Amino acid sequence: MIEEMRGFAAEIIEQLQHRGVDYGDVRVENVDLESIAFRKQRLAETELQANQGIGIRVLVNGCWGFASCSGFETGLIEKTVERAVDVAKSGSSATSGMVKLSIEKPETGHYDGPCAQNPFEIPRTEKMDLLASSANIIHSSPLISMSWSYLWFERRRRVFGNTEGTMVSSDLTFSQPLLMAYAVHNDDMQSRSLQDGARIAGWEWIEEVDMIAWAEKAREEAIMKVKAPEGPSGIMDLVLDGTNLSLTMHESVGHPTESDRVLGWEANMAGRTFLNISDQEHLKYGSSIVNFIADNTLPYGVASWGWDDDGVPGQKWYTIKNGIFQEFGSVRETALLVDRQHSRGCCRAMDFACFPIHRQPNFYLEPGTEQVTPDDLISEVEKGVFIEGRGSFSIDQRRINFQFGGDMFWEIRNGKKIQPLKKVIYRSKTRDFWGSCDGISDKRFFRSMGLLTCGKGEPVQSARMTHGASVSRFRDIEVGRGAE
Amino acid sequence: MTREEMFVFIDAILEQASVPDVLAKLTEQRLATVRFGQNRITQNVDTFERRLRLTLGDGERQAVYSTHRIDMDAIPSIIDSAMEMLETASPDPEYMPPVDAGQVYPIVEKWDAETAEANPDDRTGAVAAAIETAERNSMEASGITGVSIDTTVLGTSTGNLGFHRSTSAFLRLTMDRGEGSSYRSINSVAWRDLPVGNTIEEVAQEAETDMNQLDLEPGSYKLILEPQAVADLVPYIAWSLNARQADEGLTAFTGRQGEKVTGDLFTMSSMVNGILKGVPFNEEGLAAEDAVWIENGVLINQPCQRYWAKKTDREPLFIPETLAIEGGEGSTVDLIKSVDGRALLFRRFWYIRFVDQKEFSLTGMTRDGVFLVENGRIVHPVKDFRWNWKPLDLFNGIEILGSAVRKGQISVPPMVISETVLG
Repeated sequence: MIEEMRGFAAEIIEQLQHRGVDYGDVRVENVDLESIAFRKQRLAETELQANQGIGIRVLVNGCWGFASCSGFETGLIEKTVERAVDVAKSGSSATSGMVKLSIEKPETGHYDGPCAQNPFEIPRTEKMDLLASSANIIHSSPLISMSWSYLWFERRRRVFGNTEGTMVSSDLTFSQPLLMAYAVHNDDMQSRSLQDGARIAGWEWIEEVDMIAWAEKAREEAIMKVKAPEGPSGIMDLVLDGTNLSLTMHESVGHPTESDRVLGWEANMAGRTFLNISDQEHLKYGSSIVNFIADNTLPYGVASWGWDDDGVPGQKWYTIKNGIFQEFGSVRETALLVDRQHSRGCCRAMDFACFPIHRQPNFYLEPGTEQVTPDDLISEVEKGVFIEGRGSFSIDQRRINFQFGGDMFWEIRNGKKIQPLKKVIYRSKTRDFWGSCDGISDKRFFRSMGLLTCGKGEPVQSARMTHGASVSRFRDIEVGRGAE
Repeated sequence: MTREEMFVFIDAILEQASVPDVLAKLTEQRLATVRFGQNRITQNVDTFERRLRLTLGDGERQAVYSTHRIDMDAIPSIIDSAMEMLETASPDPEYMPPVDAGQVYPIVEKWDAETAEANPDDRTGAVAAAIETAERNSMEASGITGVSIDTTVLGTSTGNLGFHRSTSAFLRLTMDRGEGSSYRSINSVAWRDLPVGNTIEEVAQEAETDMNQLDLEPGSYKLILEPQAVADLVPYIAWSLNARQADEGLTAFTGRQGEKVTGDLFTMSSMVNGILKGVPFNEEGLAAEDAVWIENGVLINQPCQRYWAKKTDREPLFIPETLAIEGGEGSTVDLIKSVDGRALLFRRFWYIRFVDQKEFSLTGMTRDGVFLVENGRIVHPVKDFRWNWKPLDLFNGIEILGSAVRKGQISVPPMVISETVLG
């Protein structure tokens, strides 16, 4: 399959060269997708998708043109090349072309993402049995009103080639389990979910997650939560686990450090950033123990594709080091504009039909280097809340003013977790929040979350990336109920 | 594919599938857009996708297979793949066969042939005009403009055959002067009906008035919502309306059909073929119908899928991709003039999320324009701030409605809402 796709790519590159474009690239994709969803104890939907298509991007007089088609039909592909060139010419006749790509070394090669057990070879009945067993466990209490039990697998084979000599391919398998339990009691409803998300991995990820154990946990904690008192209000300390921090860092660190935002290219939709280009390498972003590492070489990270959609290889770098903002991520088109010589390889499209844009890389909060447990962190909290998982989330378009919830809450009093809570939210401002971080547990307590649904761009594209953190502590944060 | 070729393909699928229950949907979409930011084109795109979604059922179980590999020769392998999925599916206690024969699909005229040609110079010309205006006013223009051309053919083994095609032209534009900004979203069936030039000028003028923002002074204000701000809130009501979720205790509408859920001045309905053009059928091939969801604050109808409708003795009903909030008379400017005392005018909301689904509380930010209004005139712009509101409580306080305007697939009026404590 990959060889055939490389053949299509090579033919299209040849066509682009004949047409005399200043630059051209092609993405050829073949994606198999399987999803199985149980609503309560019933198989609600089982679907297999066989998706394939081609996206062609060209530069004419410094203006982009992009066209795509589904399928690999020769006639359609030829028309697609023509459409890409036509729209680029239309753009260059109406406006001044300004695109200038960073110079990158041509790449060749192939990357296989880690996958020990191909999930498409696991009998579908085994998958359904696992989901049915999970659903039965969740619904063993009458207080559970609804649930979702879900498995999702994708095998994405992709080829990227350009007119500069790059020709690379990847074979990536993504696996994601999901459980959601909804408990109803005394006219209230609360939920609890398995939120570790997706990995580039095979069936072994499903086994590692242990959905059966999680089904018990989700049921018990949903019930605990719906019966729990509402959270306190006021200024207090927070102890947050990796699955909660994954979303907080995504919104308050990942998005602000995107190069297209600082340039204003997302001003109409996802928004801008409070950062300036001149803030690189000196702006204080967090406390001195805050280190964020971007890593598109992280094997299981869902943004580790071998090469991005500019053909630039995956890289690892500090976004924030010792609390200081280091640099924006970048793509070939933005690197020079944010004072970098080379792209950081953040260019990705949702699929062949989308124009690739700057997307967040995998990145995580570096664990503490000394042996510190979550209990150690909690023991030094007089009044606070321990939060696991993600819940409600919202942030302003400059990525300063945010409000987050969670999936499970525990009241902390005098150094101990004393009882479950519900309806807790916290509010802060990005640099104040990361500046208040005074404790990070060690790598034994690291937990990651693979997101598949980061929305950005127009038309909106979903992108995927993995974040993670060890349990960490934040001092003096505003906590309250959302509607108050 | 031509319309006839699409019908022939769906007929062939229905004929060759060897199970009793078949639902086949073939779609084509061409989406041609130009995106811009920092006064430059950042994307110029012309995409085409053709997809088949095939649902097979044997009376007990069902499965779905979707593919881009579409030609007559591929039909046996498509059906084999779908059959393989079906054979491994577990029995479905909520199994429903395809919709009954004789569905009468309303004819929805949402097509403009000229727009379907998707001339790229229309789009790049509009963007060039926006950039020129922005540069002339020391602003940055960003946004997207484009056309979408969609065709759907749907067939069921019960004998229903549906066809729908549509064109849509749109412009979403932000003008930004650093501190101040403004935003507008316009759309229509035909490209030539988009008021591109006027919109660009208006948005630039509005951005000018958004400079020198002051902090919000805590206190009690009437709220004046521009149509876009109302349109940003309304989908959350629509998403919460589902009958089954309410019956299972998951939403604020549990047990409330026939009851007052918000204010007398709030009426929300859907029309398939009104000023807004909806879809004639849903994913299952069920014919679309007009519906009133909330009338004068009373919950009248809830969207309900076929299985739950049968179980709870309701009629199946879905939102046909249009929503209309009943309006009154007058523009936003008229509403501003009519307000005595102190009010805040909101242009748009951003990043709205549920805080608690059951109590139906939302959080979000203001964006691209908040203004202090005193005694019928705008006094100064206000810095963006976070809000936490319950929309049903908010709409319970509607005092005045203006004339409804189109915002995407929603028709919404500007409105004045009674005093609310902020800050």
